[in-house]
Amino acid sequence: MHVPEHQTPELRRKNIRLAWMLGGLALFFLVTSFPFWSGLFRIVGNQAVQ
Amino acid sequence: MTATTLTHDEAHHHDTPKGWRRWLFSTNHKDIGTLYLLFALTMLFLGGASAMLIRLELFQPGIQLLAPDLYNNLVTNHALIMIFGAVMPAAAGLANWMIPMMIGAPDMALPRMNNLSFWILPAAATMLILSFVVPFFPGGGTQINTGWTLYPPLSVQVGMSMDFLIFAIHLLGISSVLASINIIVTLLNMRAPGMTLMKMPMFCWTWLVTAFLLILVVPVLAGGVTMLLFDRHFGTSFFDAAGGGDPVLFQHLFWFFGHPEVYILLLPSIGVLSHVIPAFSRKPLFGYNSMVGAMLAVATIGMVVWAHHQYTIGMSLGAVTYFMIGTILISIPVGLMIFNFIATMWRGSMTFETPMLFAVAIVLMFTFGGLSGVMLAVVPADMQYHDTMFVVAHFHYVLMPGAVFGLFAGVFYWLPKWTGHMYDERLGKLFFWINVIGFNLTFFPQHFLGLAGMPRRIVDYNVMFTEFNVVSSIGAMIFGLSHLLFLYIIIKTIRGGKKAESRAWEGAKGLEWELDSPPAFHTWTVAPQIK
Repeated sequence: MHVPEHQTPELRRKNIRLAWMLGGLALFFLVTSFPFWSGLFRIVGNQAVQ
Repeated sequence: MTATTLTHDEAHHHDTPKGWRRWLFSTNHKDIGTLYLLFALTMLFLGGASAMLIRLELFQPGIQLLAPDLYNNLVTNHALIMIFGAVMPAAAGLANWMIPMMIGAPDMALPRMNNLSFWILPAAATMLILSFVVPFFPGGGTQINTGWTLYPPLSVQVGMSMDFLIFAIHLLGISSVLASINIIVTLLNMRAPGMTLMKMPMFCWTWLVTAFLLILVVPVLAGGVTMLLFDRHFGTSFFDAAGGGDPVLFQHLFWFFGHPEVYILLLPSIGVLSHVIPAFSRKPLFGYNSMVGAMLAVATIGMVVWAHHQYTIGMSLGAVTYFMIGTILISIPVGLMIFNFIATMWRGSMTFETPMLFAVAIVLMFTFGGLSGVMLAVVPADMQYHDTMFVVAHFHYVLMPGAVFGLFAGVFYWLPKWTGHMYDERLGKLFFWINVIGFNLTFFPQHFLGLAGMPRRIVDYNVMFTEFNVVSSIGAMIFGLSHLLFLYIIIKTIRGGKKAESRAWEGAKGLEWELDSPPAFHTWTVAPQIK
């Protein structure tokens, strides 16, 4: 992994870990904006009840 | 900000890269900040040109220059270019330049991602411009006549230019989210030892909140326009009532993004003001803690009041009451911020250099825009104002002073730091007065037009609206052309002028003012200690 010269490998790992977490948060909001998913959960829920 | 011990080693510097590679492959936060600012300036002129064409058309009743569809296309492009092309990149440019220098970091946390976030922008801008241009070619389809809100079913029926626009929005969104991730990681992980979150400069705080807002709402817009794309080409019916979909769903998704977007545009400028007003009042910022609290309150409440843009769609009484009360509640933390700025100026040793002139103008004119916002938040009143020129006047009074004037204040405040030269103060003040008078001439009469019933987004109007439209159009020409003076001042300052000291302004405080003007290519290679 390329480490920018102004960062220690430990700081670099910390930065990338936080970046992935924030990226995951953005992805979560993207996915939950699709009514497709809420519809799918409703269908699955209804079938589970039956 | 407490006193600092400067231990950085300025002797250790790399040579500055030369030629086009310096810019294309740059991972340096200052260079990327400059690129963002130049890009934003270019788009400001493009968006401004479309606004001037719109106002030229509205100079008189009847159709003069623009066919109705072209007029609508210009309205759409003006909004998108100004919001996504000019204001957001300009704020990102200030963030890139200033955040590392303010927190004592050598660069952004993810420098290569920083390069990517910027270089996505020209591609996105090309797509955006193509969405405007494509309908002029044979087979290019109809023009985009939806306005920036892109409501279906109209946006499903428009020609292929809408596809260019959807992909442009995707690219702009990716760029914004990547930049936001970078800014949050930088602010949370790269601060100098001793700089706790509550010692962080206010500009950094505003950007921390802005970046979180961007990460939360931009993906929702991306989701909305993706569904639009699917409805257009892949036979889905997300927004088509005939297929079991809901056209109003798009409005909810759009405004879930669109309303926080107002605060995304606004907060970085509030951050600039939090530095400019104390510097030229020669007093510390009044109520630092309450500013942070107010900002968090604005962001939180701002996320849950989006439907005040849609009162007329026929929501339940309970829903509109909730959105009305929530919207009015936002005026409390915003009012607190304004109060803090006034309290900072109170009995200060004030001087009125160009950044401070813009700051005072913001406090006055943004408050005015906020007041008309409270009028629009009231449901029965909004039923009258909805889709009139009153709304146009309101949001321009919020966004021009609230966002753009704040960016102007920031550019004039930090230009000596960036270039190493003081700008021409006489020209700066001249620009301020022409700009502010032109702005008020343009948008103040639009309140009366709206109250008298002139709808917005129309190419023609009743003769009874002529007088105010003539004043508004003359104001718009003055306002638009004044930006050429802004460009001239910047070029003149870059080329030379009186040498700026490290601390260019007597009352300026913060780590960035400990560095040379202009700062070295690499700064804070050894972190300063904050006491």
